Amino acid sequence: MILAMSKVRILGPRDRLDDVLRALQDLNLVHLSAPDTPPPLATVSLSAAQERERRHLRAALLDVEQALDALAATTGSPAAGPAIPGTVDFARWARLAGRVRRETERLRTRAAELEDERALILKYQHFFSAFRALLESEARWPNATAYHVLVKSGDAGTIPQLRASLSAVIGEEFQLYSQPLPSGEIAVLVVVSAQAAGRVERLLAEARVQEIPVPQAYGGHSLTQAIPQMLARLGEIPREIEDGRKRRADLARAHAAELRRARLALHDRLRALEALPLSGVTPRAFIIEGWVPARARRDLESGLQRACGDDVVVSELKKEEWESEQAPVVLANPRLLRPFETLIRIMPLPRYGSIDPTPFVAVFFPAFFGLMVGDVGYGLVLAVIGLLLHARSRPGTTLRNVAEIIGPCALFSILAGFLFGELFGDLGRRWLGLRPLAFDRADAIVPFLLLAVAIGAVHVLLGLVLGMVSARRHPRQAMGRGISALMIVLVVLALLAAVGVLPRQFFSPAVIGLLVAFPVLIVLEGLVAPIELLATLGNILSYARIMALGVASVMLAVVANKMVGAIGSVAVGILFALLFHLVNFVIAVFSPTIHALRLHYVEFFGKFYSPGGVRYQPFGHWTRAPAPARAAPRTTRHAA
Amino acid sequence: MNPALIALAAALAVAIPALATAWAQSRIGPAIAASMAEKPELSTIAVLMIAIPETMVILGFVVAVVILVRT
Repeated sequence: MILAMSKVRILGPRDRLDDVLRALQDLNLVHLSAPDTPPPLATVSLSAAQERERRHLRAALLDVEQALDALAATTGSPAAGPAIPGTVDFARWARLAGRVRRETERLRTRAAELEDERALILKYQHFFSAFRALLESEARWPNATAYHVLVKSGDAGTIPQLRASLSAVIGEEFQLYSQPLPSGEIAVLVVVSAQAAGRVERLLAEARVQEIPVPQAYGGHSLTQAIPQMLARLGEIPREIEDGRKRRADLARAHAAELRRARLALHDRLRALEALPLSGVTPRAFIIEGWVPARARRDLESGLQRACGDDVVVSELKKEEWESEQAPVVLANPRLLRPFETLIRIMPLPRYGSIDPTPFVAVFFPAFFGLMVGDVGYGLVLAVIGLLLHARSRPGTTLRNVAEIIGPCALFSILAGFLFGELFGDLGRRWLGLRPLAFDRADAIVPFLLLAVAIGAVHVLLGLVLGMVSARRHPRQAMGRGISALMIVLVVLALLAAVGVLPRQFFSPAVIGLLVAFPVLIVLEGLVAPIELLATLGNILSYARIMALGVASVMLAVVANKMVGAIGSVAVGILFALLFHLVNFVIAVFSPTIHALRLHYVEFFGKFYSPGGVRYQPFGHWTRAPAPARAAPRTTRHAA
Repeated sequence: MNPALIALAAALAVAIPALATAWAQSRIGPAIAASMAEKPELSTIAVLMIAIPETMVILGFVVAVVILVRT
């Protein structure tokens, strides 16, 4: 359900405004809204100094966030310190954050340079290893020049071409050696006489051959001279990289906790500054307005009285004074249903005063999922996965919610598995004598189709009834939805009577009812109503996907089981069967989730859901991962 | 009626909507991918959008079943 909210107005002497805002931030209860400011009330504007402070705080916060990211220290406890930091603290944090950010950036850049250098040396090292003996004799070639060339793995054919081109240009005054490298490339060493060097360089340039020049950073003009220095450097690089890591770890040890405290304090101070313009003031008084969950209003009153005394008054505005569309929304459901709020939050929140569909989703989503999976074995595997996720997740996280949604889904899958007599397809039937309590999905396709469409009719009708309830303040609209629901029932009755499922006597009254209801619907909803009615019938047919996916799932499971006998070797057959079951399990989990969600979001919600609700965000202290709006939130002070 | 023709009709009832679904998804996929590049939080909605045209092939499957069962 959507929690009832109260709109409150807080009044007090103007010189207590800062105290009250601080107390409200501690209480973490009021979703602030800008009050109407008829004269003599005026909106509070930030002074030039406050604007400047805000800019500085934002810049410092950016530095803090980047420094914490670079130190991989975004999570963890903040350092202890005074509850209300002063200007000196903020200035110190800004300097510290800037210094740590610059230092971490320098370390990151240096680490990248070292990695590049190591990669370059390794490339040369491979080349050197390939022609060690030849390169070492390079120094003894007084009138010769060596060219080091790399040829891509697929271009081995270019080497004979290169040899032919060299012969054509300089005759026999060269030696060409080639050797494959571990990378797959081919190292080529060309030794030519010094007189022919110019012509060879032109030839290599024209042939666009990738020459490896000797890096100047390592002195020497020949690879033989450079390689010893490069190898020595290769030994130094890991130590330098490790030094950089240690330096970063030292920085994290020394400053991470303090930076986390700075992050909290900076966020809090920024929030307090940004809350100021949401107040109205006269020369002597201030006014703050906002929403609190109705059941937490007393907590607000007593909390403010404790913090600010009797100077500050909290009064509740009558409902006639505010529009429900502006009120923020808090979804508050029983513990068992709460995980399903995650599925609602994927969509825009429902408006305040409309219907929270969480309880309906909590019942129908696992039911649809179970009917589509419908296998005891898959249900048990899913239950194990759910338990594992539950054990490895923290309360309140999305992962924990997913684990808690998996539980009912697994339960419904197991129940449906007993209804259809399936355990890993037909394995339960063949090995354990499992018999379907309702029908066999693989054979009874038409009964399954009728069941799916019947469930669809019930679900869509429920949506229409909820639509009627949610439109109760607009009688014409509510009646139109009611007539639509009635016509759907009459259409179903007429069809069932026509095909002989119901007695024939039902047919004529149902058709007469339709003929009477039709013009009423057009009068109430306009000419578009018949089209919407047809769309609603289409929505009901859409539930046939429960049957389609269910049948596909059982067929795949049966095929997986047949693998054991179909392939010559039993062991290979079992392996294939397991693999097939694994694939089917993944499909059987993914596809029903998507389609069960779709049936809710498109077919069901379309009949009553009013999106556009504002999320309840009480003015409070910053937390790293803001928890979704909860009923009657309590204050948490992070900094000691 | 010729069983081969019945089987062909059932196959076409699935195949033609399947092609239509594939075409629709081929148009939705790139659009969703582009949207997700800018707003990663749309990932769940994206998967649902991809699932929407599957209604065609599911209804085609139902029609195929009806063809096979009724004849």
